[in-house]
Amino acid sequence: MPPSKSQQQRRSDPRLKKCPFCTAGGGAKYIDYKDYPTIKPFVDYFGNIMKRYYTGVCLKHQKMLRTAIERARFLGFLAYRK
Amino acid sequence: MADLVASSEDVRIYECAVLYPYALPQKEEAQIVKEIEGYFDEVGAKLIAKDAWGRRGLAYPIKGAKEANVTIYYYEMDPLKLKEVDQSMKISKGILRHLLVKPPKHYQIVKYADAYAQWLTERESIGQKRTREKQEKLQEAVAAKARRKATQSKPVKKAEKSAEAMSGEAISEGIEKLISDDSLL
Repeated sequence: MPPSKSQQQRRSDPRLKKCPFCTAGGGAKYIDYKDYPTIKPFVDYFGNIMKRYYTGVCLKHQKMLRTAIERARFLGFLAYRK
Repeated sequence: MADLVASSEDVRIYECAVLYPYALPQKEEAQIVKEIEGYFDEVGAKLIAKDAWGRRGLAYPIKGAKEANVTIYYYEMDPLKLKEVDQSMKISKGILRHLLVKPPKHYQIVKYADAYAQWLTERESIGQKRTREKQEKLQEAVAAKARRKATQSKPVKKAEKSAEAMSGEAISEGIEKLISDDSLL
Protein backbone atom coordinates (compact mmCIF):
# COMPACT_ATOMS: atom_id res chain seq x y z
CA MET A 1 0.00 0.00 0.00
CA PRO A 2 1.60 3.32 -1.04
CA PRO A 3 1.61 5.95 1.72
CA SER A 4 -1.02 8.63 1.31
CA LYS A 5 -0.02 12.20 0.52
CA SER A 6 -0.43 13.39 4.11
CA GLN A 7 2.00 10.73 5.29
CA GLN A 8 4.70 11.71 2.79
CA GLN A 9 7.26 14.31 3.82
CA ARG A 10 6.64 17.59 2.08
CA ARG A 11 9.19 20.32 1.48
CA SER A 12 8.38 23.50 3.35
CA ASP A 13 7.46 26.56 1.33
CA PRO A 14 10.66 28.59 0.75
CA ARG A 15 8.68 31.81 1.02
CA LEU A 16 7.78 31.03 4.61
CA LYS A 17 11.39 30.90 5.79
CA LYS A 18 12.62 33.74 7.99
CA CYS A 19 16.10 35.19 7.88
CA PRO A 20 17.98 33.76 10.89
CA PHE A 21 20.07 36.92 11.21
CA CYS A 22 17.08 39.29 11.13
CA THR A 23 15.12 37.33 13.72
CA ALA A 24 17.97 36.91 16.22
CA GLY A 25 18.25 39.91 18.53
CA GLY A 26 16.67 42.57 16.33
CA GLY A 27 18.87 42.02 13.29
CA ALA A 28 22.60 41.47 13.06
CA LYS A 29 24.51 44.59 11.97
CA TYR A 30 27.68 42.74 11.11
CA ILE A 31 28.63 39.13 10.59
CA ASP A 32 32.09 38.45 11.93
CA TYR A 33 34.57 36.32 10.02
CA LYS A 34 36.03 35.17 13.34
CA ASP A 35 32.74 33.76 14.56
CA TYR A 36 33.09 30.22 13.27
CA PRO A 37 30.02 28.65 14.95
CA THR A 38 27.59 31.12 13.33
CA ILE A 39 29.12 31.00 9.86
CA LYS A 40 29.52 27.25 9.68
CA PRO A 41 25.87 26.25 9.07
CA PHE A 42 25.80 28.39 5.91
CA VAL A 43 28.57 26.43 4.24
CA ASP A 44 27.80 23.01 2.79
CA TYR A 45 29.86 19.83 2.88
CA PHE A 46 31.88 20.84 -0.17
CA GLY A 47 32.71 24.26 1.25
CA ASN A 48 30.31 26.17 -0.97
CA ILE A 49 28.20 29.00 0.38
CA MET A 50 24.59 27.82 0.64
CA LYS A 51 22.00 29.42 -1.62
CA ARG A 52 19.62 31.91 -0.12
CA TYR A 53 16.76 29.79 -1.39
CA TYR A 54 17.67 26.97 0.99
CA THR A 55 18.70 28.94 4.06
CA GLY A 56 16.17 31.78 3.92
CA VAL A 57 18.77 34.49 4.60
CA CYS A 58 17.78 37.94 3.38
CA LEU A 59 19.86 39.67 0.70
CA LYS A 60 21.41 42.18 3.09
CA HIS A 61 22.69 39.48 5.41
CA GLN A 62 23.70 37.17 2.58
CA LYS A 63 26.10 39.85 1.35
CA MET A 64 27.57 40.26 4.84
CA LEU A 65 27.81 36.51 5.15
CA ARG A 66 29.66 36.25 1.86
CA THR A 67 32.39 38.69 2.96
CA ALA A 68 32.67 36.94 6.31
CA ILE A 69 33.04 33.52 4.68
CA GLU A 70 35.55 34.79 2.14
CA ARG A 71 37.67 36.32 4.88
CA ALA A 72 37.45 33.16 6.97
CA ARG A 73 38.51 31.11 3.96
CA PHE A 74 41.52 33.32 3.36
CA LEU A 75 42.67 32.86 6.94
CA GLY A 76 42.21 29.11 6.81
CA PHE A 77 39.27 28.92 9.23
CA LEU A 78 37.07 27.53 6.46
CA ALA A 79 37.96 25.38 3.47
CA TYR A 80 37.70 26.66 -0.09
CA ARG A 81 36.92 23.21 -1.42
CA LYS A 82 36.63 19.80 0.15
CA MET B 1 31.67 46.63 26.37
CA ALA B 2 31.94 50.12 24.94
CA ASP B 3 32.01 50.81 21.22
CA LEU B 4 35.32 51.21 19.46
CA VAL B 5 35.84 54.93 18.88
CA ALA B 6 39.04 56.51 17.63
CA SER B 7 40.55 59.05 20.00
CA SER B 8 40.99 61.75 17.32
CA GLU B 9 40.05 62.40 13.70
CA ASP B 10 43.53 61.67 12.35
CA VAL B 11 43.60 58.06 13.48
CA ARG B 12 41.37 55.09 12.87
CA ILE B 13 40.93 51.74 14.48
CA TYR B 14 42.02 48.69 12.53
CA GLU B 15 41.68 45.04 13.22
CA CYS B 16 44.56 42.78 12.29
CA ALA B 17 44.44 38.99 12.26
CA VAL B 18 47.83 37.30 12.06
CA LEU B 19 48.61 33.63 11.57
CA TYR B 20 52.01 32.16 12.28
CA PRO B 21 52.99 28.51 12.44
CA TYR B 22 52.36 26.49 15.54
CA ALA B 23 54.92 24.18 17.15
CA LEU B 24 57.88 26.47 16.84
CA PRO B 25 60.69 26.79 19.36
CA GLN B 26 59.84 29.41 21.95
CA LYS B 27 62.66 31.61 20.82
CA GLU B 28 61.42 31.81 17.24
CA GLU B 29 57.85 32.35 18.36
CA ALA B 30 58.83 35.26 20.55
CA GLN B 31 60.82 36.66 17.67
CA ILE B 32 57.84 36.52 15.30
CA VAL B 33 55.54 38.17 17.83
CA LYS B 34 58.13 40.88 18.40
CA GLU B 35 58.43 41.35 14.64
CA ILE B 36 54.68 41.73 14.18
CA GLU B 37 54.35 44.23 16.99
CA GLY B 38 57.43 46.00 15.72
CA TYR B 39 55.70 46.80 12.40
CA PHE B 40 52.94 48.61 14.24
CA ASP B 41 55.30 50.36 16.61
CA GLU B 42 57.29 51.70 13.67
CA VAL B 43 54.35 53.74 12.44
CA GLY B 44 53.35 54.86 15.91
CA ALA B 45 50.23 52.73 16.29
CA LYS B 46 48.56 52.34 19.67
CA LEU B 47 47.48 48.89 20.83
CA ILE B 48 43.88 48.87 22.02
CA ALA B 49 43.15 45.20 22.50
CA LYS B 50 44.70 41.85 21.79
CA ASP B 51 42.99 38.49 21.49
CA ALA B 52 45.34 35.52 21.37
CA TRP B 53 43.51 32.43 20.15
CA GLY B 54 46.53 30.18 20.36
CA ARG B 55 46.59 26.91 18.49
CA ARG B 56 44.05 26.53 15.70
CA GLY B 57 43.75 23.78 13.11
CA LEU B 58 43.70 25.06 9.53
CA ALA B 59 41.15 23.99 6.96
CA TYR B 60 43.91 23.63 4.38
CA PRO B 61 47.71 23.67 4.68
CA ILE B 62 49.27 27.13 4.29
CA LYS B 63 52.95 27.06 3.39
CA GLY B 64 53.09 23.49 4.61
CA ALA B 65 51.68 24.31 8.05
CA LYS B 66 48.55 22.47 9.15
CA GLU B 67 48.19 24.26 12.46
CA ALA B 68 48.66 27.89 13.26
CA ASN B 69 48.79 30.33 16.11
CA VAL B 70 46.15 33.01 15.65
CA THR B 71 46.27 36.44 17.20
CA ILE B 72 43.84 39.30 16.69
CA TYR B 73 45.12 42.82 17.32
CA TYR B 74 43.15 46.03 17.53
CA TYR B 75 45.34 49.01 16.70
CA GLU B 76 44.68 52.68 16.45
CA MET B 77 46.78 54.28 13.73
CA ASP B 78 47.10 56.72 10.90
CA PRO B 79 45.27 55.47 7.76
CA LEU B 80 48.12 56.72 5.56
CA LYS B 81 50.56 54.36 7.28
CA LEU B 82 48.39 51.32 6.77
CA LYS B 83 49.94 50.42 3.44
CA GLU B 84 53.41 50.34 4.96
CA VAL B 85 52.38 47.89 7.64
CA ASP B 86 50.52 45.75 5.14
CA GLN B 87 53.49 45.62 2.80
CA SER B 88 56.01 44.77 5.50
CA MET B 89 53.78 42.01 6.84
CA LYS B 90 53.40 40.59 3.37
CA ILE B 91 57.17 40.42 2.94
CA SER B 92 57.79 38.96 6.40
CA LYS B 93 58.76 35.29 6.33
CA GLY B 94 57.43 34.14 9.68
CA ILE B 95 53.82 35.13 9.03
CA LEU B 96 51.57 32.67 7.22
CA ARG B 97 48.63 35.00 6.61
CA HIS B 98 47.46 38.36 7.78
CA LEU B 99 44.29 40.35 7.32
CA LEU B 100 43.92 44.06 7.99
CA VAL B 101 40.33 45.27 8.11
CA LYS B 102 38.44 48.22 9.45
CA PRO B 103 35.80 47.06 11.91
CA PRO B 104 32.30 48.46 11.22
CA LYS B 105 30.64 51.22 13.21
CA HIS B 106 29.59 50.33 16.73
CA TYR B 107 31.70 47.23 16.67
CA GLN B 108 32.27 45.61 20.02
CA ILE B 109 35.31 43.50 20.69
CA VAL B 110 34.41 39.92 21.39
CA LYS B 111 36.97 37.49 22.73
CA TYR B 112 36.48 34.69 20.27
CA ALA B 113 39.15 32.55 21.90
CA ASP B 114 36.79 31.82 24.80
CA ALA B 115 33.69 31.68 22.62
CA TYR B 116 35.26 29.05 20.39
CA ALA B 117 36.37 26.90 23.32
CA GLN B 118 32.87 27.06 24.76
CA TRP B 119 31.34 26.15 21.42
CA LEU B 120 33.67 23.17 21.10
CA THR B 121 32.38 21.73 24.37
CA GLU B 122 28.76 22.49 23.51
CA ARG B 123 29.04 21.07 20.04
CA GLU B 124 29.50 17.55 21.38
CA SER B 125 26.27 17.79 23.27
CA ILE B 126 24.54 19.07 20.10
CA GLY B 127 25.87 16.06 18.18
CA GLN B 128 24.68 13.69 20.87
CA LYS B 129 21.25 15.29 20.81
CA ARG B 130 21.04 14.89 17.07
CA THR B 131 21.96 11.20 17.16
CA ARG B 132 19.45 10.61 19.93
CA GLU B 133 16.70 12.30 17.94
CA LYS B 134 17.62 10.25 14.90
CA GLN B 135 17.43 7.01 16.85
CA GLU B 136 14.07 7.96 18.31
CA LYS B 137 12.74 8.71 14.85
CA LEU B 138 14.02 5.39 13.56
CA GLN B 139 12.43 3.51 16.43
CA GLU B 140 9.14 5.24 15.84
CA ALA B 141 9.27 4.40 12.15
CA VAL B 142 9.99 0.74 12.95
CA ALA B 143 7.13 0.63 15.43
CA ALA B 144 4.76 2.20 12.92
CA LYS B 145 5.82 -0.31 10.28
CA ALA B 146 5.28 -3.21 12.66
CA ARG B 147 1.83 -1.91 13.54
CA ARG B 148 0.92 -1.50 9.89
CA LYS B 149 2.10 -5.02 9.17
CA ALA B 150 0.07 -6.40 12.04
CA THR B 151 -3.11 -4.70 10.88
CA GLN B 152 -2.54 -5.85 7.32
CA SER B 153 -1.71 -9.46 8.06
CA LYS B 154 -4.44 -10.11 10.65
CA PRO B 155 -7.51 -10.18 8.36
CA VAL B 156 -5.68 -12.38 5.87
CA LYS B 157 -4.87 -14.92 8.57
CA LYS B 158 -8.48 -14.97 9.75
CA ALA B 159 -9.71 -15.64 6.25
CA GLU B 160 -7.22 -18.44 5.84
CA LYS B 161 -8.23 -19.98 9.13
CA SER B 162 -11.90 -19.85 8.25
CA ALA B 163 -11.18 -21.27 4.84
CA GLU B 164 -9.27 -24.12 6.42
CA ALA B 165 -12.04 -24.72 8.91
CA MET B 166 -14.61 -24.62 6.15
CA SER B 167 -12.65 -27.02 4.07
CA GLY B 168 -12.20 -29.36 7.04
CA GLU B 169 -15.93 -29.36 7.74
CA ALA B 170 -16.75 -29.77 4.10
CA ILE B 171 -14.40 -32.71 3.80
CA SER B 172 -15.80 -34.43 6.87
CA GLU B 173 -19.35 -33.82 5.63
CA GLY B 174 -18.48 -35.17 2.21
CA ILE B 175 -16.90 -38.25 3.73
CA GLU B 176 -19.95 -38.85 5.88
CA LYS B 177 -22.16 -38.40 2.87
CA LEU B 178 -20.07 -40.84 0.90
CA ILE B 179 -20.14 -43.35 3.73
CA SER B 180 -23.87 -43.02 4.25
CA ASP B 181 -24.56 -43.16 0.52
CA ASP B 182 -25.99 -46.59 -0.09
CA SER B 183 -26.08 -46.29 -3.83
CA LEU B 184 -22.32 -46.62 -4.02
CA LEU B 185 -22.27 -50.02 -2.46
